[in-house]
Amino acid sequence: MNIGKPPKNSAVLPFYGTGAVFFLILSILMFVAANRFQEHFFHPETLALVHIAALGWGTMIIFGAAYQLMPVIFEKELFSSKLAFISFWFLLSGTILLIVSFWYFKPGLFMIGGGILVLISVMLYNLNIFKTAALAVISIQKLFLLVSALWLLITVTVGIILAINLYYPYISYNHLEILKLHAHSGFVGWFLQLITGVSSKLVPMFLFGKSNKTKLLYAAFSFQNIGLIGFILDHFFLGSSNRVFIYFLLVAIGILCWLNYLMDVYVKRVKKKIDIQMRYTFISFLSLLGALILAFIIIIVSGNRWSILYGLFVFLGWISALIFGKTFKTLPFIIWNIHYKNVHGKKNIPLPKDLYDERLLFYQFWCFIFALVILSLGVLLNQIVSIKIGLLLWIMVALMYAFNVARVFLHKKTI
Amino acid sequence: MELQINDPFFQEKTKVVDALYQVLDPELMVNIIDLGLVYAVDFAIDGKILIKMTLTSQGCPLGEAIGQGVKNALSDDFPNHNITVDFVWEPQWNFEEISAAGREQLGF
Repeated sequence: MNIGKPPKNSAVLPFYGTGAVFFLILSILMFVAANRFQEHFFHPETLALVHIAALGWGTMIIFGAAYQLMPVIFEKELFSSKLAFISFWFLLSGTILLIVSFWYFKPGLFMIGGGILVLISVMLYNLNIFKTAALAVISIQKLFLLVSALWLLITVTVGIILAINLYYPYISYNHLEILKLHAHSGFVGWFLQLITGVSSKLVPMFLFGKSNKTKLLYAAFSFQNIGLIGFILDHFFLGSSNRVFIYFLLVAIGILCWLNYLMDVYVKRVKKKIDIQMRYTFISFLSLLGALILAFIIIIVSGNRWSILYGLFVFLGWISALIFGKTFKTLPFIIWNIHYKNVHGKKNIPLPKDLYDERLLFYQFWCFIFALVILSLGVLLNQIVSIKIGLLLWIMVALMYAFNVARVFLHKKTI
Repeated sequence: MELQINDPFFQEKTKVVDALYQVLDPELMVNIIDLGLVYAVDFAIDGKILIKMTLTSQGCPLGEAIGQGVKNALSDDFPNHNITVDFVWEPQWNFEEISAAGREQLGF
């Protein structure tokens, strides 16, 4: 057969399993630290929560999904499954060190060491993606993936600089201002651009839709990057100013161009029925629009609750909803391949969709909506009871998700 | 893929197509014939069946499983044949290749 081999399971599965565990830990620790949702975000426990969400949950699953999908997007075999597996161990150990040192606030060796381990993992990811892309014809989707990997490298490098600064203050700039650059190179550079690239390849495939408006994606790429680079350089060299509004607008236009492209695909889709996974994707994009509105509010009105809400919409709305949907568009297929590849076409065998409980995914969907809404209202109205109810619902969401992931992993071959 | 009645291997090819209705694309849950993934079946070389087919996307992680599915589906009906699956990317597959039955199953 003249087709490339998919990546080895060790390059993908550890990320999915560990991501689900981290999400469960995140939801429990959010409940434990419920009061932090009413306080300033620069608090040890909040920093730990943000890093669980960004590294243990978001980046962990995205690395696994990216290694699995690189051959689809680049139309080439993954350069090295071994490197991918090694990057997992660096990401895992680095994330654990960072989380523990943030939670107990112990700047120094463990925090910096954790950052360096994550940096090594990200360098290995970059090596893998650039080597895989080396022989591929470059398209706009591939460009998004490559540039997002570079932004992740920048994000983690700035993170290490900040970790060193916490232990040994040497930066003449305000720590919190650099933190904004670190956070936004992560949000807009890493998460946004990776999601833009992958979704503009996969959503048309899943919906059987085609858009000729590729120019929108080029515009999205330009606006997102010019906005982010402008924000970072201006903020770093000239300091905080009203010009931030210009960069916000540029990034917002970039996001709208990309969503407009997806909307065109959606309108022209041939497959009318929308599955539960695509509904999660829809909520994810709504949450991103919510985060954009909140970012605008933060520019005009200062106030911690808006910053907390912004973080909620980014991590728990946008990124989490996307992961909930995409997990069950990829993981069951990988496990199915392990069990049934060799008997496919011969006997009546289960299909990938039979490996998880679709009803549970449906219940999780509604629980997730309520959890997000109730928690957001609690933060907005500064009501601890509502915050705690919302966070309890998040634990339920995490349990349902983890149960379904475990069900897929533990599937026993039925023939 | 259309079969010609005057094809010297018409009967064998019909048997192949019938068998390939068992092979599903695991993602779309529709068989590869109705999806229009099979472009040609060749019996020109004695003792050998060459299936020329494509995938809905190049680099599809399930490509190997689908290729294996084709071999498995044909192995009972053609035990003495060497079955080769040749994946091609030209012409590129698009959803206009899906049959009416396939469209109905996909809810188009």
